[in-house]
Amino acid sequence: MLDYIARRLLVMIPTLLIISVLVFVIIQLPPGDYLETMVAELQSQGEEVSQERIAFYREQYGLGEPMWKQFAVWFWGLLQGDMGYSFEYELPVSDVVGDRVFLTILVSFTTILFVYLVSFPIGVYSAVRQYSLGDYTLTFVGFIGLATPNFLLALILMYFANQWFGVSIGGLVDPELRDAPMSWEKLVNVLGHLWVPVIVIGTAGTAGMIRRLRANLLDELHKQYVVTAKAKGVPPGKLLRKYPLRMALNPFIADIGNLLPEIISGSAIVSVVLSLETTGPMLLGALQSQDMYLAGSFLMALALLTVVGNLLSDLALAALDPRIRLGAESAR
Amino acid sequence: MRGFAPLLAALLFAAAAPAPASEILPPLQETPFFAESLDRGDLPPVAARLPDAPQLVDFDARGQAPGRHGGDIRMLMKRAKDARQLTVYGYARLVKYDRDLELVPDLLERVDNEGDRVFTLHLREGHRWSDGAPFTSADFRYFWEDMANNEELYPVGPPAFLKVRGEYPTVTILDETRVRYEWRYPNPDFLPGLAGATPEYIYAPAHYLKRFHLDYADPEALAEAVAESGQRNWAALHTKNGRLYRMDNPELPLLQPWFPVTEQTAKRLIFERNPFYHKIDRNGRQLPYADRVIFDVTESKLIPGKVATGDVDLQGRYLTFDDYTLLKRNADQVGYDVHLWRIAKGAHLALFPNLTHGDPRYRDLVRDPRFRQALSLATNRYEINRVVYYGLAIEGQNTLLPESPLYKREYRKQWTGFDLKRANALLDEMGLERRMIDGVRTYPNGDPIEIVVESAGTSTEETDVLQLIKDSWYEVGVRVFIKPINLDTMRRRIYAGETQMAISSGLENGMATADMTPDELAPVHQIQYQWSDWGQYFETNGEAGSPPDMAVGKRLVDLLHRWYGAADKAERTRLWREMLEIHSDNVFTIGLVAGVMQPIAVRHGLMNVPDQGIWNWDPGAHFGLYGMDGFWWDPGVGETADADRAAAAAAAADDG
Repeated sequence: MLDYIARRLLVMIPTLLIISVLVFVIIQLPPGDYLETMVAELQSQGEEVSQERIAFYREQYGLGEPMWKQFAVWFWGLLQGDMGYSFEYELPVSDVVGDRVFLTILVSFTTILFVYLVSFPIGVYSAVRQYSLGDYTLTFVGFIGLATPNFLLALILMYFANQWFGVSIGGLVDPELRDAPMSWEKLVNVLGHLWVPVIVIGTAGTAGMIRRLRANLLDELHKQYVVTAKAKGVPPGKLLRKYPLRMALNPFIADIGNLLPEIISGSAIVSVVLSLETTGPMLLGALQSQDMYLAGSFLMALALLTVVGNLLSDLALAALDPRIRLGAESAR
Repeated sequence: MRGFAPLLAALLFAAAAPAPASEILPPLQETPFFAESLDRGDLPPVAARLPDAPQLVDFDARGQAPGRHGGDIRMLMKRAKDARQLTVYGYARLVKYDRDLELVPDLLERVDNEGDRVFTLHLREGHRWSDGAPFTSADFRYFWEDMANNEELYPVGPPAFLKVRGEYPTVTILDETRVRYEWRYPNPDFLPGLAGATPEYIYAPAHYLKRFHLDYADPEALAEAVAESGQRNWAALHTKNGRLYRMDNPELPLLQPWFPVTEQTAKRLIFERNPFYHKIDRNGRQLPYADRVIFDVTESKLIPGKVATGDVDLQGRYLTFDDYTLLKRNADQVGYDVHLWRIAKGAHLALFPNLTHGDPRYRDLVRDPRFRQALSLATNRYEINRVVYYGLAIEGQNTLLPESPLYKREYRKQWTGFDLKRANALLDEMGLERRMIDGVRTYPNGDPIEIVVESAGTSTEETDVLQLIKDSWYEVGVRVFIKPINLDTMRRRIYAGETQMAISSGLENGMATADMTPDELAPVHQIQYQWSDWGQYFETNGEAGSPPDMAVGKRLVDLLHRWYGAADKAERTRLWREMLEIHSDNVFTIGLVAGVMQPIAVRHGLMNVPDQGIWNWDPGAHFGLYGMDGFWWDPGVGETADADRAAAAAAAADDG
């Protein structure tokens, strides 16, 4: 087991290295650099920027250096935990990201919780009572959730939240509390705003999860061991919990690895629409303005999360399902 | 006395008014906001905070009313970087434009101007920075000697607006409140530069910045501060901490009506009143009236919606004319007014045929003035105005607006009547025959005349307008393709001579007076889409681009140079007019509509915001021209919490 973990960890190093090269190259691919974005923006507001000043900045930011050198500097810093310097904010990246990470984790965690709590009972119900009225209704609602574009749902919910509950539009907290330190009052306020993004980001995942659980459970319900158990007089509730449900649980665990990065990056558009103070909009802005160290460090963090998440879900799966053998053990 | 007489007279006159300070100053009233600080003794009383001769603002003369202290003004911004907008709105400058767009002293008590060559700036005795330190000529000396002429801080030399024919001024510190800038040749850009929405700075808070300057600071402590901040060197740290325009450093002393108290990464930017601000009203109240200004940072697309649900007190930026119906619908229910201010650009939209395009065949075609005139005549501006702008815009060429003293009707109207017959006649005269099967005209070799118009608009407005133009140009045998494109990409293509025609806004300053530089009319900037290559030549001092190779282009450059050397206003006016005429005759840019309205949302109870106004960047500084430091909450009108607070504050003031 330890062997296996060690090997997986070792494989991560080249994986992450390749990802970092790709990330850096792709961010740099569009013509121009951050300075051109900055100048265009200033000029569009009527401000003037002299050519001499631009040359000065280019030198200051090290943008004139060849690309491999810029990459080396950034990657070396990354290894030491220094995420580089954000041109847009003129601050070290770690200062910029700040408490956005906390809110991002809060939103993501709540969303995952929401997905599990809602999809699990519904999935089980609609499998056990297949083709009942309840199954049809819930399936219908689930498909609508899967098919509605998230940003549209976000706009609609935001409107009603404002009309019915007087929740201010956009953001995770009321403006007055935005930069206040965390307190009970602020937490309550955050929770009041949180349900909109959680529902919006969670619907698609919930619908997908319901379908998967339902399909898996249906497969199991018609197998012989279930029929046998039924014939032997095991009560239906106990039967369900004890055998087919456990078999059908695998996708729940296997998904953890994918769910994490999906929720963090996939929620970027929703976060922009809802003006959430999470990392999503910041990542989008950084990519648009070619603020390469900020964007690059973000993407690297996401990559790390994906790789680690996959490892965790593999381990959890092995622990849960005795039929699954880890590579190392099966070779023995 | 030679030169610039009217301006000089204006400066002297305006300065004369508040000069014998002690006699006519009204009895001063203390600001309730500072009551606690005063009790604790953290702040001196108001009399000691004001300069000896404060600026007395006559609200009645401006059609406004003096008000009361208190309250917050909330606005929405897109990014934390927009903090700088408060430097624009606050609009405290050494000299500034008044409502008639004349330059008047503001932070300065007065300016002596000798022929635009020698400027003597008189500071206010006892004027202080927002941290209470004196604002004196030492701050000008520090900027000039220790910043502008320091190779690490300004590697390419002092700011360009101080350079006249390659020479920088002689700066003399006469005494504590007087500084002299002296050139050999006139520098008419000097005072307008100081008065800009993005002003040029010629002073800096020396007492604060010295701690980041290698010549003054303790080297070890400085090295530590540099390392801690993550900057590359001391110069970068000095520059970052010393930007007076940006409002991003709460520790940096300012002279504006409000200064920031929150860090730059905050999502709610809070600005508090400057206790040492230099203006008072006739009731003896120190300005600004509003205690705090608050910028909430949010996604720009949400801003119209948030305005419509009452999340702001005052908003213009990030609202467009499209939002007017939404804003108006909710106005009464939520409790705000929507004013429409005119946008003062020379043209809201204009077409820019690229006279320096890389393909010689297309270049020769658009360089023929008849071709541009014909296209202008084949454009139905009335239809565009009706369909897209509800008929509220001004149709015509890309030139000055009626508000400008230099405006003439024919500049705007020439070549703009919708006349397909005349347009066809012009094109026939050029020998462009309709040889395509659908009547499209061709180049001599038989290729159809097809123009790709690039649009970098973020909404569908530009493409809607282009669709209308496309149909009427097709009538005269010119085929148009519309290509939506990213702004950065479009700029790069224009600079490289690849774009055939672009659509964008016209002259930035549609309200110019003869004393403002006509550089937008001459090919000297790369950003001028119709002759970007020529502009590049002048901006890079001949290193890139190419010099104008059309007689009329050379003529415009020549006229611009003569404007800089002009002796008086009459001469300048004459030069302006000649340049405007050349533009109007030649139709270098095909102006479509101008004077499109900017919606301004104003919460009930916020006073002194004019119903009608001009929304312009420079001159104008958006709200700056109307004095945002004079906006105040009338407790009798407002229903918001802010207004209630203002009421309480005002009541407290009356009791005291």
